[in-house]
Amino acid sequence: MNRFSQIVVGLSLLLALSGPASAGPAAEPAGFWTGPMRGQTPASLAGANVIDAKALAALIASDRPLLIDVAAEEAKPAGMAPDALWLPIHRSVPGSVWMPGAGDGALTPPQDALLTAQVDALTAGAKAKPVVVFCHRDCWASWNAAKRLVRQGYLRVYWFPDGVEGWQDAYEAGVIKQDPEWAARPR
Amino acid sequence: MLKPRAVAIVLALLSTALLPGQGAAAPDQTQRAARWNELQTAIFGARTVQAADGLIAMETPDRALDAAYVPITLTMPQKDKVAAVYLFVDDNPSPYAAHFTFGPAADPSQIRLKVRVDSYTDIHAVVETKDGALHQTSRYVKASGGCSAPAGVTPEEASKGMGEMSLKLPAAIRTSAPVEGVLTIRHPNFNGMQMDQATRGYTPARFIREVKVSSGGQSIFTLNADISLSSDPVISFRFMPQNAPIEVSALDSQDGRWARSFVTAPAGR
Repeated sequence: MNRFSQIVVGLSLLLALSGPASAGPAAEPAGFWTGPMRGQTPASLAGANVIDAKALAALIASDRPLLIDVAAEEAKPAGMAPDALWLPIHRSVPGSVWMPGAGDGALTPPQDALLTAQVDALTAGAKAKPVVVFCHRDCWASWNAAKRLVRQGYLRVYWFPDGVEGWQDAYEAGVIKQDPEWAARPR
Repeated sequence: MLKPRAVAIVLALLSTALLPGQGAAAPDQTQRAARWNELQTAIFGARTVQAADGLIAMETPDRALDAAYVPITLTMPQKDKVAAVYLFVDDNPSPYAAHFTFGPAADPSQIRLKVRVDSYTDIHAVVETKDGALHQTSRYVKASGGCSAPAGVTPEEASKGMGEMSLKLPAAIRTSAPVEGVLTIRHPNFNGMQMDQATRGYTPARFIREVKVSSGGQSIFTLNADISLSSDPVISFRFMPQNAPIEVSALDSQDGRWARSFVTAPAGR
């Protein structure tokens, strides 16, 4: 192989490795993500720690963090027979507070205010209290919600991108109900 | 030199003991049992559902490769006693996956099909005997995301050829022995929970709700299904050859109706 073809091969290898954007994790958007909720998320979140299930289990054991699950609730699909059995159930990291929809990129001001008030109450106003946010794998909702908490000045925000699936792979998940105050949010 | 290691071992043991859920699997078992109780009551009311007692067995993968197509094999060894079989994916929002009612031309010894699984769940199969008793078996399956998994192609693409059917049969059929047929129905079986990534709306539910298979005027089975059946349903079933074509009809949730007759190739006798 002559030097020219070596350079060509080297360059094309480099191109292949740096590849199209879809091949790797998404870059962090400057603001909240308002695109499709399902999709490849970034590998990081500025101001927050990214943790896996094992690290989360250790954190739960050592620091008793506030666990916030922002996975979407399942709405009965249009087109199902009225008498069809529809019994959604939600399993999550035990002890989590479930606030579906709290990871929307564009919360309405009343929803934003309610989320702020809920997290403030659940942390008893302590900005240093560790807070873990998650939903599902490849779901932007938890990234958004964690970012919102970073912006609100929480000092120990943990983003758990593997979510419920990552947890279930290693540990038991428990049935949880939606946070009652969040359930009554203005839609 | 040994001390730090000993400390490390103790710490490791301690952290294992402290991990939530580990060892103490009890809370989860309790919740899963409670869920099954809830479903049982919703479907069977006050009727007792007994243990399998050799009337039903189920095979599933422990961990599914594709949660949108989890293969299930139901075996009913005492086939002469079997009237119907139900399949439930406990933790799916629509847990009632399938109900096969067998007719006189059936050999209800085995059914195979594929279902969607939304999250790690128990799957229950319940056989109903001709004398009205219910017996169940269950398996725990690790699979998730099967309900919201997008079709992979546009809804229009996925809907192409809707209602087309094929039936795979042995090359030669002897009327004296049961035969296995593999029925495939082309249908996206949209469950209403799949997001169209282009429009960001949910693709409206449209799914097979009934399949009837018969031969020579004798029913083989009627399947009542819901949104948990995988797209392009594939159903394996056994039947007693009637020396007549196999008639298949399907009905979906938007009143789509399809029917086809499959001629069998008899080998005589």
